[in-house]
Amino acid sequence: MSALLQIENLQVTFNTRHGQVTALDSVSLSVNAGETLGVVGESGCGKSITALSVMGLIPMPPGRIAGGSIKLNGEELVGASDARLRGLRGSEVAMIFQEPMTSLNPVFSIGDQIAEAIMLHQNVSYDQAFKDAVALLDRVGIPSPDRRARDYPHQLSGGMRQRVMIAMAVSCRPKVLIADEPTTALDVTVQAQIFDLLNEIQRDFGAAIMLITHDMGAISEMADRVAVMYAGRVIEEASADQVLDTPQHPYARGLIDCIPALGKQETELREIPGVVPPLHMLGQGCAFKARCAHARPRCGTEKPLLRSHGAHPVACHGAEEGWL
Amino acid sequence: MSTPKPTPQKAPQMPADTTDAATDAAAQFVARYQAESPAREAWRMFRRNIPALVGTAMLLLIIGLTLYGTLIYTGDPFDIVWAPHEAPFVEPDFPLGTDYLGRDLMAGLLSGGGPTLAVGAAAAALTMIIGISMGALSGFYGGWVDNLLMRITEFFQVLPALLFAMVLVTLFSPSLITIAIAIGVVSWPQTARLTRAEFLKIKELEYVTAARAIGAGNGRIMWRVILPNALPPLIVSATLTIGVAILFEAGLSFLGLGDPNVMSWGLMIGANRDYILDAWWPVTFPGLAIFFTVFSVSLIGDGLNDAFNPKLRER
Repeated sequence: MSALLQIENLQVTFNTRHGQVTALDSVSLSVNAGETLGVVGESGCGKSITALSVMGLIPMPPGRIAGGSIKLNGEELVGASDARLRGLRGSEVAMIFQEPMTSLNPVFSIGDQIAEAIMLHQNVSYDQAFKDAVALLDRVGIPSPDRRARDYPHQLSGGMRQRVMIAMAVSCRPKVLIADEPTTALDVTVQAQIFDLLNEIQRDFGAAIMLITHDMGAISEMADRVAVMYAGRVIEEASADQVLDTPQHPYARGLIDCIPALGKQETELREIPGVVPPLHMLGQGCAFKARCAHARPRCGTEKPLLRSHGAHPVACHGAEEGWL
Repeated sequence: MSTPKPTPQKAPQMPADTTDAATDAAAQFVARYQAESPAREAWRMFRRNIPALVGTAMLLLIIGLTLYGTLIYTGDPFDIVWAPHEAPFVEPDFPLGTDYLGRDLMAGLLSGGGPTLAVGAAAAALTMIIGISMGALSGFYGGWVDNLLMRITEFFQVLPALLFAMVLVTLFSPSLITIAIAIGVVSWPQTARLTRAEFLKIKELEYVTAARAIGAGNGRIMWRVILPNALPPLIVSATLTIGVAILFEAGLSFLGLGDPNVMSWGLMIGANRDYILDAWWPVTFPGLAIFFTVFSVSLIGDGLNDAFNPKLRER
């Protein structure tokens, strides 16, 4: 069985002034139609690079896809021609960005922008595309859409702009929708509305969603499956319930421990000590070893691989040997 | 700046029980803050700027006079119609007097404006076309394209502009078209640099990536996404370029490199400059005409600058 979007052993490198660094190291992920895959991790873990790789938007140079494959519906995207990728973007794979404030072109009305996106992939007149745009705005819950379509981005609130971005992203009924921290810049109340909308859209369109976030609350609300990333590698992958209830990797446990629980009296918020190491200073062994309370000598010499040890796949020597 | 969201909480007087009424009220609320495009907003700012309005009125008057003046005040500006060096405001038939050959200065002034303005506008248009294309390509593609185009730009930038324009006009026979081309060819580097800077800045913005993500190609991103956002400073620069081009044309004509068969303000000054000590008026009136034209264009350019950059104004 092959998934709608299948990423295998994806290797992405960047040339920096510290030499070549590996931003993604054998990342394998898959999403099926109608399914939501959550990709979690701290800033700088490679979540956004994974998303941009799928879109074919890695800046090259300095970036380079050094190996692996990305298959969309069985079609190989790594090494596909620019024209082919351009045809796929928007129509087959679409992306919602983190900052709705800056992801819309300020000099065109929102209806214009959505109509433009439609006309890029469908052979329709401007009038028809604009009508479709108004219908989409209505679909994503913008009040009086026919009037709002003539508004400019600066006249909308953050939540409304994100709705517009969603309308634009689904305008050509893409099979895969990548949402890169779609609610990070929004109010908590608006976040819930956006998640509801994404869920509805998924039900209507049957799209596969890849939700990139560092918010475990978003994961519990949206995701069917979760991949935890750290320093450019997938370190744990399982169903959302499994990861939330019985996380294996010390990093995944740390992330879940960081969620402040309602009702519990806690004076201090928990955190994972330390920061993600810079990619040019990873060295040998497990990338998490310096921040891990359970690290043993083996962690410093041998890179743990993503393997299933009973419960679900995890890349940790401790989980493998049972000394966590 | 942003329109308040039409939420029921913000308008407590609205009946909360019927959603239809709430939607209606919300729609009215929205209607009051009706969509205003950035261009219209700039126009609203421009309208409040008194100097810019004065400049616009002045320029419209000048354009009107040069377009229609010759219809009312007929007479060939090259015809010798009276004694040379007739003082102005003396002879009612020749209100501005005559030049060293006895040609009517009023006729010269009215019919010389058209060519002067036309050359200025054409040269500015050419400047913008070359400058924007070069700047856009080098800013957008970067790398070796940028290097190559910027070296070419620098080559043109270090040439003494007036001298180079003189060479071009001398090489090809002086006509209005060659003069406009010569001015355009020497003055585009500044526009290219400005465009490049804007493109370098804007191409990193998220909405450009977002446009790529919906499948837009390079050409569309350059001309439909980045250029409209880069336009405000370019429009200002284009306006000011018109003024510079008019001065350039006058300068070339003054040096005797203008089109000798077409009356222009520069030509009038150039022809009469030898007799400036005997008669002040044949050079003063066209000089003032050039001054007021360039001044009004500059006022408009300044007004546009303020209108597009409301943050620059201290209020």
